[in-house]
Amino acid sequence: MKKNSRLLLKKRYLAPLLCAVAALLIPGFALAQSQWQPTRPVEYIAPANPGGGWDTLVRTTANVIRAENLSNQNFSPINVPGGGGAVAWAQIARDNRNPHKLFATSPPIILVPLMGNSRFNHQDFTPIARLITDYSIVLVRADSPYQTINELFAAIKANPGLSVGGGSATGSMDHIAIAGGAAAAGLPASGVNYIAFSGGGEAMIALIGNHVEATVTGAGEASAQLAGGRMRALAVSSPERLSGPLADVPTYKEQGIDYTFDIWRGVMAPKDMPKEAVAYYEDLFARMIETPTWKQARDQLGWLDAYQDGETFGKFLDEQLDQFSTVLGDMGLLRN
Amino acid sequence: MESLTNLVYGFQIALDPMNIFYVFIGVFAGTVIGMLPGLGPISALALMIPMAFTMDPASGLILMAGVYYGAIFGGSTSSILLNAPGVAGTVATSFDGYPMAKKGLAGKALALAAYASFIGGTISVLGLMLIAPLLSQVAISFGPAEYFALMVLGLTAVVSLSDKSLIKGMIAAIFGMMVSIMGIDLQTGTERYTFNHIELLDGIDFIVVALGLFALAEVFYMLLRGGSKTQKRNIVGSLKLSRQEVKEIAMPITRSSILGFFTGVLPGAGATIGSFLGYSMEKRLARDGDTFGQGNIKGVAAPEAANNAACGGSFVPLLTLGVPGSGTTAILLGALLVMGVTPGPMMLEQRPDVFWGVIASMYIGNIFLLVLNLPLIPYFARLLDVPRPLLLSMILIFCMVGVYGMSFSVFNLFLLLGFGLIGLAMRLYGFPAAPMILALILGALMEESMRRALQISGGDWWVFIQKPISMWLLIIAFLSLFMPLFKFVYRRIRGF
Repeated sequence: MKKNSRLLLKKRYLAPLLCAVAALLIPGFALAQSQWQPTRPVEYIAPANPGGGWDTLVRTTANVIRAENLSNQNFSPINVPGGGGAVAWAQIARDNRNPHKLFATSPPIILVPLMGNSRFNHQDFTPIARLITDYSIVLVRADSPYQTINELFAAIKANPGLSVGGGSATGSMDHIAIAGGAAAAGLPASGVNYIAFSGGGEAMIALIGNHVEATVTGAGEASAQLAGGRMRALAVSSPERLSGPLADVPTYKEQGIDYTFDIWRGVMAPKDMPKEAVAYYEDLFARMIETPTWKQARDQLGWLDAYQDGETFGKFLDEQLDQFSTVLGDMGLLRN
Repeated sequence: MESLTNLVYGFQIALDPMNIFYVFIGVFAGTVIGMLPGLGPISALALMIPMAFTMDPASGLILMAGVYYGAIFGGSTSSILLNAPGVAGTVATSFDGYPMAKKGLAGKALALAAYASFIGGTISVLGLMLIAPLLSQVAISFGPAEYFALMVLGLTAVVSLSDKSLIKGMIAAIFGMMVSIMGIDLQTGTERYTFNHIELLDGIDFIVVALGLFALAEVFYMLLRGGSKTQKRNIVGSLKLSRQEVKEIAMPITRSSILGFFTGVLPGAGATIGSFLGYSMEKRLARDGDTFGQGNIKGVAAPEAANNAACGGSFVPLLTLGVPGSGTTAILLGALLVMGVTPGPMMLEQRPDVFWGVIASMYIGNIFLLVLNLPLIPYFARLLDVPRPLLLSMILIFCMVGVYGMSFSVFNLFLLLGFGLIGLAMRLYGFPAAPMILALILGALMEESMRRALQISGGDWWVFIQKPISMWLLIIAFLSLFMPLFKFVYRRIRGF
């Protein structure tokens, strides 16, 4: 009897025990099969100091993700400044399997390596999403004699010393934008006397103050200044006219120059991030761009929607690499 | 009268109970952040951007501006007590503030810094209120040639800052200049002095050098020299200024405030450059200029008035032109954009509430800062009462935490240590640190502006003389450089 009851007892315990074990396991199985999820806060890196374009993108999107409850974990913005991004890229490339690491990106990830200042370029990372874009805009003073972009280019041809200010370093975005435009108009890409200022704002002030003849910068940055009436825009590098305050600005294409230039921004991940994690983040950003909080923030910051999923973004980046190496090569700045 | 109406309007916004609360929180947080060496207002402001997202733009900017000028106000405390500048803008304050503290005048130095900061801040608010729109014209009139000339003028102070040996001062200045151009060159994309090290691609952060050269070198020096055990004495000293002293500093504070304010208005300059220009101007104008660097009260008053005035002045390009002049104002610009306000030429018409509200809030903020800081001075100064081994380790820890917290880079800690050792060697062999720091601050901008100006002019050097502002600045630079010679000759002639 005693023996039996003990057995019985055991059996009686066994069932609930099994149930309990199963209960613990099943959600685990279900989770692993359906979707990967971050298990700790995501390091969300802006490869620059606070205040710039990458930093704003990282902080804004992290904020939207939290506000809209898109992830079970926090996205914590981290600034890793240095070398126009090179310091952060090297760090991320070293940590190539980390599923809890993302970073903001834009054309410098192609340009900086081409200039020979970084060992890593976009091919050393996994594209997650392209999110937004801005365009390049060419400005002159309101009283300038140049009425169209072609007149400006003709003047540059006649006088190669004509100074064109820009907000980024030589060989970086603003420079490439105007050199590419000049090349498309039949000038040598190296024929623009590009004066590098430390920021689009400074370059615009130099224009208003009559220190340079023209300035090339981001259209978003210029729109508030244009409203002041002291500057005129000659061309914008978008495929079609922009809306809002820049609706009057003609594109390069309208003026017979077949040229567009995107200042895109997006998100990338380490190269060997597990596939499930990549899929998770791609899905997250695809959902994020549909939320009202994102749309509001995007409009407030003057950003234009330019979403691409990871795969399309990767192909786009390869095309950009070709375009940029050609322009930099023509300019004699290609070092890699 | 129009500005009076505007100011009344501004005060209506700033005196809203919620906004008074924001000013208070802002300046309080700013003071604390400023006091911790290395940790500047930039990281604190970046953390606030998500908060600003939901705030009314006027309140948001009132809060964030408070952090900014609060940090510059508070930064003097650690400059004076520990020789460890809290923020870049208060490096010059340590030149005379720290010697004063060593003499047992810590209380007076801190009080002096507080009064000078208050007056500098208030003068800049007046300037903002009365002539901000006009000032944007001043900012615009400065192109590359003008910046170059201004930096040359600033650099002539090397002569007056190298006390004993001019040669050693020049060597220090050239070394500072070399450090300042490290990294990727903006105009060509070439790497300079980076030794193939990616951490050096952006050059070296100014505050790392300043902390190493001043705070760490001082710690090493004290360790090396062992201690004349400081006998117990009144460490705090009196906070009161005599009537004679008030008279003495009145003009330097006023002059430095005005100079600082105009420096702040230039988008390329800012609080740090402003404080150095103020310091060197007063050193040259003062009759007892040779005692600067040994604890002269004017040497504390001038840079403190100038940096706070410059901080206010930097709101001119930010708000009326939409152009940030420094890392900190760049974040303020970003925050404003997030809040849906686009600073620029239309700001005064579109968002007068933000513009005048912030200016009015600065009056209140400056009063808060004074009231908050003065009663606390005896407590801060008691920090020096801490036994020396403990104090030295505290300085070390503060500096390292501050530098690490800036960018989470271990590399920067080694740099800090390296500059500490360089600073020690410089002290042992009689090389002055001030010219090096000055060249480090002005060098990069001078070099950049010069090349920019020449690139625009097609290599024509006359551009620096043809532009009137640049020409006058260069003439003043020339005069101030040869002033000692003129004085010498004059005295000789009179002596006969």
